[in-house]
Amino acid sequence: MALTLLRGMRTPISFRSSTGLFFTVLRPRLARFTTRVESAQATEAKAAAKSIQLVTKEAAEQKTQGFEAIIGIETHVQLSTVTKAFCSCPYNYGSQPNTTICPTCMGHPGTLPVLNEKVVECAVKLGLALNCEISMTSKFDRKQYFYPDLPKGYQISQFDIPIAKKGYVDLDLPVEFGGGHRKFGITRVHMEEDAGKLLHSESGSYSQVDLNRAGVPLLEIVSEPDMRTGIEAAEYGAELQRIVRYLGVSNGNMQEGSLRCDVNVSVRPVGQSEFGTKVEIKNMNSFSEINRAIDYEISRQILLHKEGQADQIVQETRLWDESSQKTFTMRKKEGLADYRYFPEPDLPEVVLSTDYIDEISKSLPELPEAKRRRYENMGLSMQDVLFLANDDNVAHFFDSTLEHGADAKLACNWIMGDIAAYLKNEKLSIDETKLTPLELSELIASIKNGTISGKIGKEILVELISKGGTVKGVIEEKDLVQIADPAAIEAMVDKVIADNPKQLEQYRAGKTKLQGFFAGQVMKASKGKANPVLLNKILGEKLNAN
Amino acid sequence: MLSAAASTIPRLRLATQPPRARIPSARSHWLRPLSSATHVTAPAAAAGAAGSLEPPDLPRLAKAARISLSPQEAEEFEPKIRQLIDWFGQLRVVDLESIEPSLRAGTTAGSSLREDKPETFVNRDAIVEAVPSFDDPYIKVPRVLNKE
Repeated sequence: MALTLLRGMRTPISFRSSTGLFFTVLRPRLARFTTRVESAQATEAKAAAKSIQLVTKEAAEQKTQGFEAIIGIETHVQLSTVTKAFCSCPYNYGSQPNTTICPTCMGHPGTLPVLNEKVVECAVKLGLALNCEISMTSKFDRKQYFYPDLPKGYQISQFDIPIAKKGYVDLDLPVEFGGGHRKFGITRVHMEEDAGKLLHSESGSYSQVDLNRAGVPLLEIVSEPDMRTGIEAAEYGAELQRIVRYLGVSNGNMQEGSLRCDVNVSVRPVGQSEFGTKVEIKNMNSFSEINRAIDYEISRQILLHKEGQADQIVQETRLWDESSQKTFTMRKKEGLADYRYFPEPDLPEVVLSTDYIDEISKSLPELPEAKRRRYENMGLSMQDVLFLANDDNVAHFFDSTLEHGADAKLACNWIMGDIAAYLKNEKLSIDETKLTPLELSELIASIKNGTISGKIGKEILVELISKGGTVKGVIEEKDLVQIADPAAIEAMVDKVIADNPKQLEQYRAGKTKLQGFFAGQVMKASKGKANPVLLNKILGEKLNAN
Repeated sequence: MLSAAASTIPRLRLATQPPRARIPSARSHWLRPLSSATHVTAPAAAAGAAGSLEPPDLPRLAKAARISLSPQEAEEFEPKIRQLIDWFGQLRVVDLESIEPSLRAGTTAGSSLREDKPETFVNRDAIVEAVPSFDDPYIKVPRVLNKE
């Protein structure tokens, strides 16, 4: 692996000098990123000086006194193709064990693997999305090892010539973790097949194998060792998840194992150029677990360094245990495994044309990073930007709402507030509700032009999102048009004041807070329809008219 | 095994003919001595001694292939496998300086990709029957836990 450190934003990197058509496409993008990164750095520094997160950040730095962690991640993404990588077996998560199998994926002699074209397409899509060089010619190799979940005794993978390499990913750290823009290098992306699933019975003297998953296509994404903290690593994983979901190449579901991260962590004294001994961590089922597992592992290693027991850090695989919030030794490595790679003789090389790559390049959707920058340029806060761009469906809904003329900030507030709360409660995704972007834009417009009050707007939203319909329809049906006639409001104010002489007396005796009580009573009398600005203006005049 | 290797030699020679796009990193990655324990044997060093490579380590090869050999069998196999390795040694002295590396021997024929269309294998019973130990619906194997 290349040991060149791409230290994120601190060193804007100039990538490769190779030829090829897609580089001319990439160059302007790259230039833009670099400038942006520099300006982001400046604003980040300014903001951080005042932020409360700085305190936590400093505390974290104190804990790591004199040491720095180096984190690299290998991510396996299961592709959402209909069939397996090298045979026509359909694959569905959760099928009856050992039903989607055939002689090819079972490794029977005399069978011939034939590559699924969709796998190449997914690999090129992801390679381009990760700003990689695409290999016009690549090949498959056999990686040999013996394990019962691997029927052939080897895994078809790509060894020395991966389909994509030398890319990078841009991301923004969450505001609550101090924010900041990061750029992490991607070493390579390669195609390979998954193994089956092994089940170990706790008591039994045997293990069980389900080979449905054997031969399912994977893309392995190897990062440069560019991450320094748990949150950076977790966000790197989250960004890969967003990208594969935006691209539609995988569902990115960690619980189902469609996205799996193996993390390598080492620690070294600041200023030392060699890496410390690296430890691999597995068994993390969410990004927050990745974050906590890494931070635990970093402090474990630093503590050993400080106690002069750095030699206790050995090359091993550790498992994250969620219940105790610790990592435990799973197995120590006895030297490097010898996989005896050699070129897969049953598969021809994978040859791509520039037309093919161009075609795919043109078909790529707007990716998370581009979306975030676009939203940022609309003047939305980073918190808003991250929320909207996090989910492809939400971003799409937001964009459509804007296309119908809605104001960006208002639309964002509705989506992040009432709509998000509803989705969370009902465990729905935004495209599963009855609310349409058009109606949200109508709702916003109706409040803006004074037809309804914001409060009524919230009621209408609940109606729209659960039952559907149109803003106009609900307003008419429920007679919700805002009362903006001063005379009508004045009449209601007069009545409320007349009905509450005691409170009026108290008010005039100096208890001016009671204006809120009166306003509430009038609003109630109007069934929430009174224009609040007008109401308060008239009420104030009346209360103070002596 | 021996005859297969013998027929490989002329094919490799044929494969070095048409010059194509040069991919420097592709060169001789997999022409490693079979008996080398590491990934980093320098080809030049091996080529120095008229292409001779390290002699085979039979116990290690047998272990890697998950076959058990009696000492007598190992002794019988040793010269045969050494001969095979020597052929690779001969290949290594061929001067390839002016030859474009090829990823593959003669498989550049058009697209060989498959459409992503499912086709269920109909004779699942036969597959299940071929499994040495089947514990419906799982394949039963000796207990394995974290063994590399």
